[in-house]
Amino acid sequence: MSLKVSRWNSSIAPRATKFFALVILAGIALGTLGAETLPSKPDGYFNDYAGVVDQATALQLNEQLAQFERETSTQIVVAIYRTMQSESSVDDYTQRIAQTWGVGQKGRNNGAVLFVFVDNHQMFIQTGYGLEGALPDATCFDITHNLIAPYFKKGDYTGGLQAGITAMMQAVRGEYKGTGRTHQEEGDNGATVPLWLIILILIVIFIVMSRFKRTGRRGYGYSGWGGPFVGGFGGGGSSGGSSSGGGFSGFSGGGGSFGGGGAGSSW
Amino acid sequence: MSKFAIGCGGILLVLVFVAVVVAIAVAGKYNALVKLDQSVNQSWAQVQNVYQRRADLIPNLVQTVTGAADFEKSTIIAVTNARASVGQVKLDPSKAPTDAAQLEQFQAAQGSLSNALSRLLVVSENYPQLRANENFQQLQAQLEGTENRISVERGNFNTTVQAYNTAVRTFPTNLFAGMLGFQSRPFFNAQPGAEKAPEVKFNFGNAAPAPAATAAATP
Repeated sequence: MSLKVSRWNSSIAPRATKFFALVILAGIALGTLGAETLPSKPDGYFNDYAGVVDQATALQLNEQLAQFERETSTQIVVAIYRTMQSESSVDDYTQRIAQTWGVGQKGRNNGAVLFVFVDNHQMFIQTGYGLEGALPDATCFDITHNLIAPYFKKGDYTGGLQAGITAMMQAVRGEYKGTGRTHQEEGDNGATVPLWLIILILIVIFIVMSRFKRTGRRGYGYSGWGGPFVGGFGGGGSSGGSSSGGGFSGFSGGGGSFGGGGAGSSW
Repeated sequence: MSKFAIGCGGILLVLVFVAVVVAIAVAGKYNALVKLDQSVNQSWAQVQNVYQRRADLIPNLVQTVTGAADFEKSTIIAVTNARASVGQVKLDPSKAPTDAAQLEQFQAAQGSLSNALSRLLVVSENYPQLRANENFQQLQAQLEGTENRISVERGNFNTTVQAYNTAVRTFPTNLFAGMLGFQSRPFFNAQPGAEKAPEVKFNFGNAAPAPAATAAATP
């Protein structure tokens, strides 16, 4: 024991420290090389990181989009930033962001993200593979260039965003059917113990107890055991109600993919 | 006699057992290679899809641009010719190319079309009435969307080819991959000079997104 420790201190520790220092430095260097940062996943459907819309409207639009997902399963996200933190083009950058966020349901790929970069005067609608029919490039261009841009030119961000969101929802409504719950709301229910597992465990317990019963006393041994288990599992099966207490519906990406479709405009 | 026979029988049994184990392992690896091969073919089909989408936009573009007064004829002709040459390089859309030279040829033809399109969009900057044309603006948005799709699908294709090539070349799969008919596949490369986006200066400061974005995404 002590021999091992002394060997570590004498020869391995200094080399290990040097190695880790190098790794950390390399990590920092690589991190600063690419002048690009992908923004982190959004908390809600309507995300105003630039502060151009008032709180009340932001909350209302967030609920509108959450409700849209409940009704149609399509996830529309709005993300407003001050500046575009990338040297790439806006269509390339926003495609990679949307892909990382996984907006839209897995398999259906029915996600759309409206990106607005206020100081760059650029906006872009990224559409997932599943929405390219309902929201083709021409429509995205039409919405951003002809509908939203005039509002933004006047400085009316609220009006422009409301009009844009309404137009996007209108274009996409009817494409897919929803389940009445958002992906995040479904996720809570999924974390509970599945029913078949409960039954399996009960069977195993019965078998185990029947073996013990032979050695012990006969009689009414079971009734004492059944109650707490059934109560506990019953509670496990039905938990996971609304996490959206307080009126804010959180967003959780369904794992949809983006093929680079969409269009945008500047103002 | 009995001891020797038992010895031989024992060795034979062990050999048979080893052979069965190896066969099962090879079958497993073969199935994995087949799956990866299929995903490469699938992403190749997607690549062909988006390139075809671009080719389909061209006639509409040419028509809109020709309608504009005195548009530089040579630019339009270059686009039409490039599209025709793209149509001549036909690769099987259901199977990804195994020959690097073939892929190079395909890339070169598509690249020349990209260049001709870039040039046309740059030249269109000199025609304000064309730029204000609703139809032209829509086409420009559609072309840029298609260019973006092309770069996304090429990226996905390269990713699947990388996974496939890694599986084919790692030990011990590489010992029998060649026998079973699995070769390394070529990647899409960046065209020489693609790192430098052409300089496009705007004096109009108006609506439509910059063609420099298109040129930067040029394969």
